[in-house]
Amino acid sequence: MSEEIKANVTMDLKGLACPLPVVRVSQQVKKMKIGEILEAETTDPGAHADFPAWAKSTGNEIVKIDKGASSTKFYIKKLK
Amino acid sequence: MEKEKIQELRQLVKSRLNRPMRYYLDVCTRCGLCYDTCHAYYGIPKKEYSPVNRAEVVRKVYKKYFRPSGFAFPYWGDATKLDERVMDELKEAAFSCTGCRRCMMFCPFGVDMPHILSIAKLLLIGYGNAPEELIMLADSAVEKGKSIDSFKEGYREVIRDLETQVQERLKLPSSEDLIPMEKQNADVLYVGLSGAHSIVHPAVIFNAAKENWTLSYFEAVNFGMFAGDPEKMQFIANRIVKEATSLNVKEVVIVECGTAYRIPKFLLGPLPFKVTSIVEKIYRYIKDGKISIREGAIADALTYHDPCQLGRNGGVYDEPRYVLGALAKDYREMSPTREYNWCCGGGGGLVALDNEDFRVKTGKAKKDQITATGAKIVVSACENCILQLNTIKNGYGLDVEVKSLTELVSENLIV
Repeated sequence: MSEEIKANVTMDLKGLACPLPVVRVSQQVKKMKIGEILEAETTDPGAHADFPAWAKSTGNEIVKIDKGASSTKFYIKKLK
Repeated sequence: MEKEKIQELRQLVKSRLNRPMRYYLDVCTRCGLCYDTCHAYYGIPKKEYSPVNRAEVVRKVYKKYFRPSGFAFPYWGDATKLDERVMDELKEAAFSCTGCRRCMMFCPFGVDMPHILSIAKLLLIGYGNAPEELIMLADSAVEKGKSIDSFKEGYREVIRDLETQVQERLKLPSSEDLIPMEKQNADVLYVGLSGAHSIVHPAVIFNAAKENWTLSYFEAVNFGMFAGDPEKMQFIANRIVKEATSLNVKEVVIVECGTAYRIPKFLLGPLPFKVTSIVEKIYRYIKDGKISIREGAIADALTYHDPCQLGRNGGVYDEPRYVLGALAKDYREMSPTREYNWCCGGGGGLVALDNEDFRVKTGKAKKDQITATGAKIVVSACENCILQLNTIKNGYGLDVEVKSLTELVSENLIV
């Protein structure tokens, strides 16, 4: 049984066009404290590569990915 | 600003001073004919939003450091030294311009303002003052290029989900391989964007045309270009070139994204494959009878917005008009149109910046054009433009629907 992750902030990014999902996530993470978790829900298939690449380039961490039928929730931990 | 930093920035200016750049910097007579050609000045009639005044910010720096008169007599030479105030002015100049080049169509000397502003963008990167959203997006794209193998599995999994949407749309018995990936010797490598719509609609069309195609792992958009960073631009573009070369494809088809099309088409030099816009590909499929669309299926008045990078800077004008002319019963041309069409105000990466109020104001020319046509549907072929057209629609409360050309074709395909 996987550990439940409690998000400090949730964002609905469903249906947003390129490049807004990554821009919105980046803006939100900047406002958060180190160690806090953002839950970002998106319908973009590209997010499955874009969010991990963004996390790697900014030094943050994707701690969990919940793939649903029509959208995916990314849990992003602010490390920097 | 410290002397060392000024020296470093001076070298950056020098690195851009080839013959065309020196010509553009030297030849302008400041006649002011470009004022009324800029959508930003049309929406916000302040001189700092005119093409000539944007270029003047760069030109004054050039005069200070590269012209004897500006160096010896800065006041007479109309020269400005680099300092924080000038860096702010450079930022305002560079990122209030979409790079549409409409001003260039009216300039008696053909001065390429966005080319001049590439110096401003380079200086901002050197000074660490470039828009952080664009730098962040460029860095992510670079990282994606470096680490693509670790992201492939997750991406392929969601692409498999999209295959069922293609299957339903085409009423096929199986969804298997409807969006192929890493297919060696495919005729076409299609490069989309992050959004599902940029993959599903083209996939429907490619399958209907029985194309031997494969989907790229990368997004077509190039934020290195928008940020004005030549090295990142090259790296991001090369991800696709390497992928296309390793798969041995004959043609790379680019999603509806003007800059993404212009870079491989015109800025990378000779490539071992053909570069085509999805709009040109759709046109060719219809002309060759590979796909059929419902002619006259759209009864509402419809107009087309030429994306600047696809039209004015790319030369793709007739293909979208042919397709839309077939689909629409009442096609209405905007005025002015084609190479003189007004920019929507979303290009140059501006839609990624936190500037919606500015973009609504500078979208006024486009709003006036759309309203004058009386059209109920506005079609374009660029993701940036579609985003900005929706911003204009919402900002001015226009009673129109904004659609992408590929989406419209996919929805009106005879299957």
